[in-house]
Amino acid sequence: MNQGRHDPHDHPHDDRHSEISQSAHPGYFDVMETAVRELLVEKRLIGPGEIRRQIEVLDSRTPALGSKVVARAWVDPGFRARLLANGRSACEELGISFYDDTQLIVLENTDKVHNLIVCTLCSCYPRPVLGLPPDWYKLKPYRARAVSEPRAVLAEFGTVIPADVEILVSDSTAMVRYLVLPKRPEGTREYTEEQLAGLVTRDAMIGVAVIDVETSGVPQ
Amino acid sequence: MNDSEHLTRRLPNDIGGLPAERIQRTEHDLEPWEKRCHALADVLDFHKIINTEEKRRGVEALGAEMVGKLTYYERWITAFANILFQKGILTPRELARKMDEVEARSVSNPP
Repeated sequence: MNQGRHDPHDHPHDDRHSEISQSAHPGYFDVMETAVRELLVEKRLIGPGEIRRQIEVLDSRTPALGSKVVARAWVDPGFRARLLANGRSACEELGISFYDDTQLIVLENTDKVHNLIVCTLCSCYPRPVLGLPPDWYKLKPYRARAVSEPRAVLAEFGTVIPADVEILVSDSTAMVRYLVLPKRPEGTREYTEEQLAGLVTRDAMIGVAVIDVETSGVPQ
Repeated sequence: MNDSEHLTRRLPNDIGGLPAERIQRTEHDLEPWEKRCHALADVLDFHKIINTEEKRRGVEALGAEMVGKLTYYERWITAFANILFQKGILTPRELARKMDEVEARSVSNPP
């Protein structure tokens, strides 16, 4: 079972799969997934096409949606206010549907506050607007340390927040998810909304990075 | 505090604030079965068969060794099977037979 994966050291959440080759017959857990799904379909508890359709929904969710939300908030103060008041309904205004029943709280970075999001218990993440979380978000080092030593964690991402800026860490739950509204970078007064969206990164919306026009590579 | 007292304070996945290694900025594209497993989780939630909290508790209930050694989606699918057994929706025998069938099919029709 589960051939080709070795976890010799204490690295419990490291999801490495590169050693599994395409030609190998399916692994134990792959078979288990297929078997559970087929049994549920046979019992008419789920529809035969539902998994396929949900995969299409998952594939349609990428950080580009979050970037669009952030850029709109930067150019439209009314939208920004609505977004901060109710993240979910403001995203829905832009046509981003929430396929689950989670709420979204948008946390605004300012000159005085930098926000960081984490899920210490598992991997809750604003999936409708960012897609699926990166592996590091689900692994022990980030989940354990983000709440106790956020500045050290940020430094490991190459992000240094000035000492006079407070760092607020928000711990997600099954029902409440967070999204960081990064600060609009200096020197972008002439940018179109689309150009602004091009500056916004996934990591900035998690809070492990800040947006820098100099390094973003977007032509001015 | 005696040796056993601290054990009552945290479940295996309750790790916020504990010391841990440096961040490794690992990312991988999901394997096809992992993506199916994720979609299955969503569909189970839509149908109120297994919700997010039940899934998390199901993973906790695997115990520290499995939580430590199984990968992320391996934990999920194992937890789903256990929860479906507990709810009387599937039986272990039924799942074992279906897994044999799926396995046999993949051997006779390799991808």
